[in-house]
This record gives sequence, C-alpha cells and structure tokens, in this order.
Amino acid sequence: MLKNYFKIAFRNLWRHRVFSFINIMGLAVGMTACLLIFLYVRFELSYDSFHTKADRIYRIVTDLKTPTELIPTSGPAWPVAPHAKLDFPEVEAYTRVNPDNVLFRKDDIKFMEEGAIWADSAFFQIFNFRLIRGDVRTALIHPFSVVLSETAAKKYFGKDDAFGKTLLITGGAVPATVTGIMKDMPENSQIKSDVVLSMCTLTAEWAKDLDNQWGNYGPYAYLLLKPGTNAQALQKKFPAFLEKWNGEEMKQIQMYPTVLLEKLKDVYLHSTRGDLGSSKSSGNIKNVYIFSIIAAFILIIACINFINLTTARASERAKEVGIRKVAGAIKGQLARQFIGESVIICLIAFLLTLGLAALLLPAFNELAGKTISKGIFENPGLLLLILATSLVIGLLAGIYPAFILSSFNPIEVLKGRYATSSRGATLRKTLVISQFAISTALIIGTIIVYSQMRYMRNQSLGFNKDQVLVIDTNEDKNREALKQAISRLPNVKAVSLSGSVPGSGYAGAYSEVENIKGDLQITNLDVYFVDFDYIPLYNIKMAAGRPYNREFKTDTTQALILNEAAVRTLGYRSPDQAIGKRFKQWGREGKIVGVIKDFHYKSLQNPIKPLCLRMEWPRMGLISVKVNQAGIKGTIADIEKQFKTSIPNRPFSYYFLDEFFDRQYRSEERFGRLFLNFAALAIFISCLGLLGLASYSTMQRTREIGIRKVMGASVSNIINLLSKEFLKLVIISFFIASPVAWYFMHKWLNDFAYRTQISWWIFAVAGILALLIAIITISVQAFRAAVANPVKSLRTE
Amino acid sequence: MIKIRDLEKIYRTEEVETVALNKISIDVKEGEFVAIMGPSGCGKSTLLNILGLLDDPDNGSFLFNNIEVAHFNERKRADLRKHNIGFVFQSFNLIDELTVFENVELPLIYTGVKAGDRKKRVEEVLDKMQIMHRRNHYPQQLSGGQQQRVAVARAVVNNPKLILADEPTGNLDSSNGNEVMTLLTDLNEQGTTIIMVTHSEHDARYSHRIIRMLDGQTVLENIMV
Repeated sequence: MLKNYFKIAFRNLWRHRVFSFINIMGLAVGMTACLLIFLYVRFELSYDSFHTKADRIYRIVTDLKTPTELIPTSGPAWPVAPHAKLDFPEVEAYTRVNPDNVLFRKDDIKFMEEGAIWADSAFFQIFNFRLIRGDVRTALIHPFSVVLSETAAKKYFGKDDAFGKTLLITGGAVPATVTGIMKDMPENSQIKSDVVLSMCTLTAEWAKDLDNQWGNYGPYAYLLLKPGTNAQALQKKFPAFLEKWNGEEMKQIQMYPTVLLEKLKDVYLHSTRGDLGSSKSSGNIKNVYIFSIIAAFILIIACINFINLTTARASERAKEVGIRKVAGAIKGQLARQFIGESVIICLIAFLLTLGLAALLLPAFNELAGKTISKGIFENPGLLLLILATSLVIGLLAGIYPAFILSSFNPIEVLKGRYATSSRGATLRKTLVISQFAISTALIIGTIIVYSQMRYMRNQSLGFNKDQVLVIDTNEDKNREALKQAISRLPNVKAVSLSGSVPGSGYAGAYSEVENIKGDLQITNLDVYFVDFDYIPLYNIKMAAGRPYNREFKTDTTQALILNEAAVRTLGYRSPDQAIGKRFKQWGREGKIVGVIKDFHYKSLQNPIKPLCLRMEWPRMGLISVKVNQAGIKGTIADIEKQFKTSIPNRPFSYYFLDEFFDRQYRSEERFGRLFLNFAALAIFISCLGLLGLASYSTMQRTREIGIRKVMGASVSNIINLLSKEFLKLVIISFFIASPVAWYFMHKWLNDFAYRTQISWWIFAVAGILALLIAIITISVQAFRAAVANPVKSLRTE
Repeated sequence: MIKIRDLEKIYRTEEVETVALNKISIDVKEGEFVAIMGPSGCGKSTLLNILGLLDDPDNGSFLFNNIEVAHFNERKRADLRKHNIGFVFQSFNLIDELTVFENVELPLIYTGVKAGDRKKRVEEVLDKMQIMHRRNHYPQQLSGGQQQRVAVARAVVNNPKLILADEPTGNLDSSNGNEVMTLLTDLNEQGTTIIMVTHSEHDARYSHRIIRMLDGQTVLENIMV
C-alpha cells in the first residue's frame, strides 16, 4: 500500500509540476529563512558561552551618583578589581581589560592595532582563549609582554616563529616580548583582539599610580568567583568596601559609586552599558526576540500557504478519493495517505532548504555583519533538528488538507460535484487573513525602520560633518607642525586639532560649575578637548558668549565653553546667564566664556548630554581637515606626504567624518536590511498562498462564472467578482495588523532618544502595498477564469 | 441476496426537502441481472449508492445476504463493500496517475492481498478482459471502450458477489457499449449478481428483469424472457 501511495504522490507532484514547484518552493523558502534566523539567534545567544568558567565570571560595572545625575558606567575605577581580590576570599581571580589603539612595529612593518587590549595576568586563566605557545599563567605576568593571535603573528613574523621575539610598541618604540601565541579569538566573543598586552606595563611602569586612582573610571573589569559563591551576596559587600578604601574622597567630591556585578553571559545581550569599543561586541536581546518572532511568523505563513495550496488542489484529487473509497478505503487510510504525501513534500522541501541555506549563508553572514555560521553541514545535530522540524511541519500542515480530502463524499465527487463545507472556507479565510496581517505588519515595520534611519541621517546634527577628513596622530609630538603644514595646502579650507570628533569617544570629567544660585555645583561633564579652530571648522553655532579666540591669552588655561544641555542642568533659563560664571575642573579654574548650541556628538539613539569644550593641548591627537570637494584625491595625497614628513614613524590613516559618524547606525542599518529581506520573503510566501486560494475559489466557481458570462458578464465584471472576496480579507488583515505593528514599532522607537513620528501615511502606504500585491496575485487567476470559454465550464456539470 | 423494505432517502436543505426514495422495496436474488430504469431524478442512482453501501438510507431495512446493513458505520460498510461489491461507472472513474495494472490492483490493496497474489490476479483479469497488452498504459492513453474494460476489470478483480453498474455504456459508442454489455453478461453467467442503472432500453434487454422507477418508487417490473 505504501508503494502505491509513494507512486501516486510522486506522479501527482510531477504531473502538476508548476503547482508542486510553487508549493515546495514556498515551504523551502520559508524553512530556509527560518533556518537562517535560527542560526543568527543561536549565534547571538552563544556569545561568551565558550568560556568554561562563564557561569562564575562577572563584569564589574558601576552606577555613579553625582549631585545632579546617575551615570551608568561600563567599567569601575582602576583599583576596584585588584582590591576586591585582596578583600574578598570569594574572588578567585580578576582581570581588567583596557581597549586601546597601540602602534606596533617590526622592522618596516607598521600597524596601528586599533583593537589592542591591556589585560591583567589572570586574563588567560579566566577566559578560554587558547594559547598555542606560552603559558596561560605567566604570559602576561611581566611588563612589556604581548600575546599575539595567530593572524597577528603571521602579520608581523610571516612563517617564522614569533614566540620570544620582540616587537616595538607605541610611538616611543618600546620593545615588547611575544610571550604567547593564541588561537584567533572566536567570533562569538565580546572580547575580540589580535594583541593582548600585559596590564602591568601600565600599572607598574608607565602609570604607577593607576591602581590607586579611585576617581579614575576606566577599563572593563572581570571577576572570577570561586565555585558556589553567591554573586548577589558579594555585591552587597561593595558599599562597605568602597567606604573603606575611598570613603573620604567620595564625600569630598560627592560622587558615590554603586558596584554591580553583571553575569558575563548576560552582558552581550542584556547590558545597556556599552561595549568594548567595537560595534560588533554588543548585541540586543530585543533584536533576538524580534527576529525569533519573524522566524515563527514566516514558518506559520509558509505552513498556511502549504495548507491553502494543498486544499486548493483537493478538488483535483477528489475523484481519486472517491474511487479509493469505492474500492474499500476508509477515511483513516486516506488521511494517512495525504498526510504521508504532505510529509514527502516537506522532505523534498527539507532537501531544498539545505541547498538554499548553504547557498545563501555567505550572503546572510554579510547581511548580519558577522560570520554566524561557517556552514550548515558542519553540525549534524542541526541537520537532524531541521529534518525533525520538516517532519513536524509536514504532519501539522498535512492534517487539515488530509481531513478535507478524506471527507469527500464518493458519490458526489465521482459525479464531478465537489462538496465544500462553509466551515472549511471560514478556516481558509482566517488563514489568509493571518498571513496578510503578518505580512502587512512586517511592511509597516520595514517602513518605520527605514524612516527612522532616514530621520537619523537627515536630522540636523547641529554641526557640519561634510568634507571633513580626520587623521589620528596618536598625540604625536609633531602634530602641531603637521597641522600647520596641512593648513597651508591648497584645497584645505580649515584645520583643527582635538581630542574627539563627533561620533568618537570622549572623557568624562568631575567638574564644579557655578549654578543659578551662585553655588559651585558638582556635575559630570563630557569633555571634548579642542583648539581655537574647532568651533568654526565644524560650524557649531554659539548660543551665547564667544568661541575660543587666540586674542584672549587666558583661553587656553582659564576658559571653558559649555553646551546648552550643561547650562540647563545648572538651572539657567537662558545661555546668556551662564557667561562669566566660575568653574573648576581637573585642577583648572576660570570662567565660562561661551555656550554652544546643542549638537549631536553621539548618535541619535542617545540624548544630548552636558558637554564642555576644553582647551588642553596634550590630549588632542586628532586632526580634522575641512577640504574642497574638488581635487580631493590630490589633497589626500598631499596630506599623506605632509604626514610622512612630520610623523614618519606612524602609519598614515584617515577617515571621512560623515562616514565615520554614520557608522554608528550600522547595526540599525543591518537590522533594517534584515527586516526588509524577511518581510519581503513573508509577503512572497503569503502571495503564493493567496494564489493558491484564488485558484481554488476560481475552480469552485467555474460554473457560476460560465453562467454569468452566458448572461452577459464582461471580463472585468468577472475579475471584479473574484477579486472582491479576497480584497475584503486583505482589508480585514490590514485593520488587525495596524494596531499590532504600531504597538511594537512604538516600543522599538522608544530606544532612540530622537525618533521619527509614526505617521498615518506609513499605514496608508503599507495597506495600499499589501492590497496592490494581493490584487496582482488574484488578478492572474481571475483573468484566466474570466476569459475562459463558458461552454467548457458549463460542460463540467 | 438483497432485500430492501420501505427504504427512504430524503435530501434536505434549509428550505427544500427532496424525497429521493419513497418507501421502496426490492428483492434481488443471487445470480440475477437486474436493470433499473426511469427518468432523471427518479432516485435510481440514489438506490444504487445505497445498495453499494456508499450512502445511508434514512429509514427502512436493507438486508445484504441476510445481514441488516442499513445503519452500518463507515468502517463496516467499507469492509463489506470491498469484499463483496464491484462498481462500474458511466465515466469510468479511473485514477489518471495510475497505470491500467495499478488501477485494477487498487481494490486488492485495500483488501490486503499480498503483492505476489495481486500480480497474478490482476494479470488474470486483464487477460480475461483482453486488455493485458495495455497494462502499463495510463487511462488517458486508452479509448473509452478500453477504459471501461479496465473499470470492469477493476470491479471484478476481487471476485465480488455483486456488481453495481451505473450507466456503464453512457459514455461509449454502440460497438464499445455492446462489448461492455457482453462482458457484464458473461460475468453474470459465471454467477455474479449484477444491478445496472441505465437509460438505454437496448442495454436493459441484456438483464433478466427491469425495475422501472418514478419519483422514488418502483412503478413497474418487467421480467425479460
């Protein structure tokens, strides 16, 4: 009997090749999308789970309470981690991780290692970054030690063994010994670097006081707790710990940190405290949820589609059912046959899914911005899971059509009359409504994601980022000379030296500024170190007072410029009120000379915070160059020439500020692209389902169409008749999708400090789009039915 | 073999009630060849469906080989049907995706006959119907007469005691029609009971007895000589 079933299943598939192709393809495409999303979600959830001690590793973060605000930091003060090890027996080991850009040299090879990290000696004992050469216990124990990844070792030493060799680090060309070679850090690691330098180089040689600077918030810090330690209980001991070590200073500067312990495994997806400098190292649990939901939606749509297409073809199988029943088959046998066929189709779809997924994986990796998986065939467990899923889908999606088919009344069907129950029709309509509701919601979501991105791009930032080129001199001593040389180049409009450019990092400073009451108010200000030319170059507008000016000799030592946000926290109603007021900051005292209008120095996800522009030459290493668009290639070549003359020891690298600033939106962009692609897929599969249902309905109404045509109905009358029924469903689905999409997208937008409005036109466009897609899909079927010869359709009676 | 008494079948929609069979009573003995005739809508096909256990009567009694089957459930009906009854339809009703051989084999699959035996029996019957040379063809590759022969082969492959034929020559030209009628007559002579619904007086003459129906009732019986 099985053989007979298989035979008929395959012959049927082959005989209705186009239909089978649509059916199988719809399912395969849905399953592929689902599989890729599954890989993505699994990858996101796998971050840092490869560390065998991950359950015992905690990141130390702090909430810093100042008199005016609560500042969440992603790292504690420098001494916290080592002192915690001293005080708490629960702490087995600690390591701080300080990201940095470090210049590396070997002979003629020069690289600015932008993702270098300084780490304490227990780094390789806490984390599972495998050393191929060297000892995890001693690799970072001495100053001037460096551990290279295999890639970095190859970069500097080629085929030679790098272990024990020397590299020159920083602008000062200090020799450092390669004390270990590690496997490249895995993709799903938050800490990702090709070079790890010993932290004691800083704490024992270059900045010996670091381990006592309780007010200096810097590196990331991790604790490895002893087995069985209750992290919550340990966390509760920190207030007394801080009081013991730093109580006096805390009172004096009125900044009170609260130490919190974040479980390492939760940091990547759940922490909102920033990441290790690279945009790749921070995930978002919301995105994981969103994509999981999308995957489920796509799978549901694909199943609905499959059910609709199979029931659409039910009438073609009706005669067979009748004959089988007459020949002695009972309902259960027939149901099993049709469920079996559905499983066969799913298995074919499974094979196609494997092929499609393997084909699309590289593109998907690119879309996701990371290698979420090297290949789907690498993991037999995963293959089994997909296979099992296909079987379950086959069973679930096959039950309803099997039930419909096996219920056919043999007498009716053998006479060519197909009985359909209105209950079945209601279910099918409900399925189409669900499909289109999901698709419409995804269209609305896509439009909102894209309009938010457009909003962020087009929003006035309060400064001009066009045609600005930025060069990092790493605070080289010749940078002023270079600046002067560049300013003399033709096609260079302006040059400025600064510590930060919009979109880059900045310092935070404990400051005291006179407030509206005349008191010195303790406040935390973000600091941009700038020179005289910064404000005009970036075209930052003044709200009150004046920009820095060479004519005022005291500007470099006794002046400060604030932004409007800072002025507001001091209680002033207008910026003018702040001019001339006193400030104290990092050993400097003076007056506020100007207030700049707020500009977006961070991405639009973040609100504009209190900022000051401070002149401090030693901390300014970035040269911003405003250039003419014309002859830009030549200008860059000229700048490079000047760079090599002034700073011969460092590699020349530059970036355009607009691109650099937009890079902050890369993850949103990726999110948008993924969203768009999956939404398009969902719509495509929904349309296949609709096509199936339209053809089903048309088939059912063949006789009616024939009679109407004989009575004088035109082709457009018939198309109208057939389309109306489905368009009604699409319209209903629109009304279901809109509030749901509004709710979720509203929540999504809440993550952005500056966000676009969800306007009515978005819904209108999505609705019209869904309707148009549906009309086109249905019309194909309706037109075919409408132009058919009525005599033929009437003969079916 | 068949004894029905006061059989009723009423089709109901929300507003209309149609009496298809109105307290009809008929007897058919084993080995008989009975033709049922009557105008369209007189209930003859309904009667045939009930006799073939494809449909339920609303009232009345239906004894098949002295067993009351009027209210058998689907499983029991299917069981009785597949072992005892063969069907021949006007429109042949062969499965397009199966070959001649596979179509004829179908009832044997549902009665659980082993593959080896199936092959033997299908070949025997195809031989008998002189259609063996077409065993690997699909229905659409055959003429109407050939298709009906395959249908007859399928109907008899299980050696049923009863064959129900619903206008078996309705879609055939006269020569093919005669061939099919000869086949049925041969089967009847070998002991199979045949009940045939037909519009054709010519075909009816092959039977032993004609039951004429009107409005769901028997109005006349002609014994053929």
